[in-house]
Amino acid sequence: MLEEEIILPGHRACPGCGGAIAERLILNTLGRNTILFGEGVCASACTRNVTIPSMTLHFSGVVAGATGIISALEAKGKTDITVASFNGDGATSDIGFAKLSAGAERNDNLIHFCLDNEAYMNTGIQKSHLTPYKAWTTTTPWGKTTPKKNLPLLMAYHFIPYVATVSVAYPKDFISKVEKAKKIKGFKYIHVLCPCPTGWRFSAEKTIEVARLAVQTRVWPLYEVENGKLTITVKPKKRSVKDYLAIQGRFRHLTEEDIQQIERHVDKEWERLERLEQTGI
Amino acid sequence: MPIRKLCDGNEAAAYGVKLSKPEVMAVYPISPQTPLANRLASWVATGEIKAKYVTVESEHAAMSVLAGASAAGARTFTASSSQGIVFMEELIWQVAGRRLPVVMAIVNRTIAWPSGLRPEHTDALLQRDSGWILIFCENSQEVLDTCIQAYKIAEDERVYLPVAFCYDGYEISHCSIPIEIPDQDDVDDFLPPYEHKYVYLDVDRPLMVREHPSGPGWDCRMETRYQVDEAMKNARKVIKEVGEEYGKRFGRSYGLIEKYKCDNARAVLITMGAITGVAKYVVDKMQEDGKPIGLVKLRVFRPFPVEELREMAKEVEAIGVIDRNISYGSAGGGIGCVEIARALYHMEERPLLAGFYAGLAGREVLPSHIEYAAEKLLKICEKGKVEKEIEWIGLRR
Repeated sequence: MLEEEIILPGHRACPGCGGAIAERLILNTLGRNTILFGEGVCASACTRNVTIPSMTLHFSGVVAGATGIISALEAKGKTDITVASFNGDGATSDIGFAKLSAGAERNDNLIHFCLDNEAYMNTGIQKSHLTPYKAWTTTTPWGKTTPKKNLPLLMAYHFIPYVATVSVAYPKDFISKVEKAKKIKGFKYIHVLCPCPTGWRFSAEKTIEVARLAVQTRVWPLYEVENGKLTITVKPKKRSVKDYLAIQGRFRHLTEEDIQQIERHVDKEWERLERLEQTGI
Repeated sequence: MPIRKLCDGNEAAAYGVKLSKPEVMAVYPISPQTPLANRLASWVATGEIKAKYVTVESEHAAMSVLAGASAAGARTFTASSSQGIVFMEELIWQVAGRRLPVVMAIVNRTIAWPSGLRPEHTDALLQRDSGWILIFCENSQEVLDTCIQAYKIAEDERVYLPVAFCYDGYEISHCSIPIEIPDQDDVDDFLPPYEHKYVYLDVDRPLMVREHPSGPGWDCRMETRYQVDEAMKNARKVIKEVGEEYGKRFGRSYGLIEKYKCDNARAVLITMGAITGVAKYVVDKMQEDGKPIGLVKLRVFRPFPVEELREMAKEVEAIGVIDRNISYGSAGGGIGCVEIARALYHMEERPLLAGFYAGLAGREVLPSHIEYAAEKLLKICEKGKVEKEIEWIGLRR
């Protein structure tokens, strides 16, 4: 980690923004020999104030702009610069999904970070494909009826060299994965769960607590997939998903049956990861 | 030494690109551009072009890649047609506003619906408001020459705008004529390596190449529009300079418009792209018969050659604009006709103006169609008034 901050003071994110914490961890780990390509608004609210070269295009230009940058650097023989691509969940999993997939398929030499706050927060909390089952958003006022897309595993099945999930509540795990990704050549995908006080309806000082509960309840498992080998990097003692859901206003309307259904889904997904840890992907 | 070779438009474009030495290309195949996409890929594979060729999944991605690559200091190229151009629209504006000198070939094809492979200029003219310089080519030779000039124009610091050179699908892209391919050393001498003075992504000189909806520079958006418009004005001069310098070095000069046999003409037709070749043939024949008809090729559509057209218009009694494009519900006629009407409006004495639609959605433009327009125009001269402002030529009723 750099001592000196890459993000200047006065970022424009909301108080308690999980994304702002994530961006600070990522950029200070990658260091100054980095070019940042990010777009969209929540994900670039902080990175607008960076002291490294940066570029944005538009929501749907996910990864492709970064591919252009790395291609130019390669054409000029500059091979020591890290190209980091930043997007929120809306851009990464929805409007820019084809470009994300294409960058992975080409194995472009860059790191894509999905800063996942589980809805289109900047436009006012609309559903994304990464909004969890039953969560309230302004476009799913009765709760989302479909599950969260498993983007990290979808990316792992592009057979890229490195995929990782990270959490702002586990900074050591977070930093070591970013450091590892920086050293690997090819397409790296790192998915950060970024609790959002504004959209998830919890008070701003609870960001880290919510992030930690997501991991402890196994709603957000921390793992990495390196050349097909999957490793669960944090194995918490299981807590009930109720602990995670109860402190967020977006799940206020859930019934006991809904919670049980979510618990069963979480357990099933955890078992899947344990199986994949044995077999590889 | 320059060589002579039989080339269709796509092959000519490929030679133009190769000689211009792009560093990053991202091309998504679409007819009738596909042979160009394939040829460039094969030349990258054999090492004849030393560039990164990014196999993108869409035209939208192609232009996104070029935006990043151009900002990071690479000379870039892409090519597309019709639906592909429409799909990349969002990026077309992004690239121009950021002042990135990307070069693109637009191999003109009809925009659906009606679906069709054959040429129409609407795909390129849709970009007329976006800050892209638009140049229409008449044949393969002009395609090659314009490609090389496009980089020189785009990368001029007085301009720093993207350039599209356009040529009609099949009628130019797939029709071979003998052309001259310049020598690489001469082109290197004409076109120095690309380096942007103001836009770069360099870890030693950190710069934000990004949007400013509420960030730094939040209050300079109207000025950004103004600056692009100013750059377009500068481009008029630069295109002329580059066309003349090209002529001195390679023997073929280019301007914003080309006047063809306009001396002593009472009326002139105005055409763009491949139709110009047919029109030249018709004008030759009609002049042999003593008919006072001339021709103006509108080579550059953006920036629009207002001064050149006004100068020309002083000398004639009537102008007929043949548009191979459509703007449904326009003030009258095709996009070219409307634009020319505005360009001539403030002249003290302006010629009569008639608009003709021809070759829409790829319908073949025959010499008889051009001759029909020319005869109509000469009648307008005789009568001293326009009875029918707009006519559709070759339309089945």
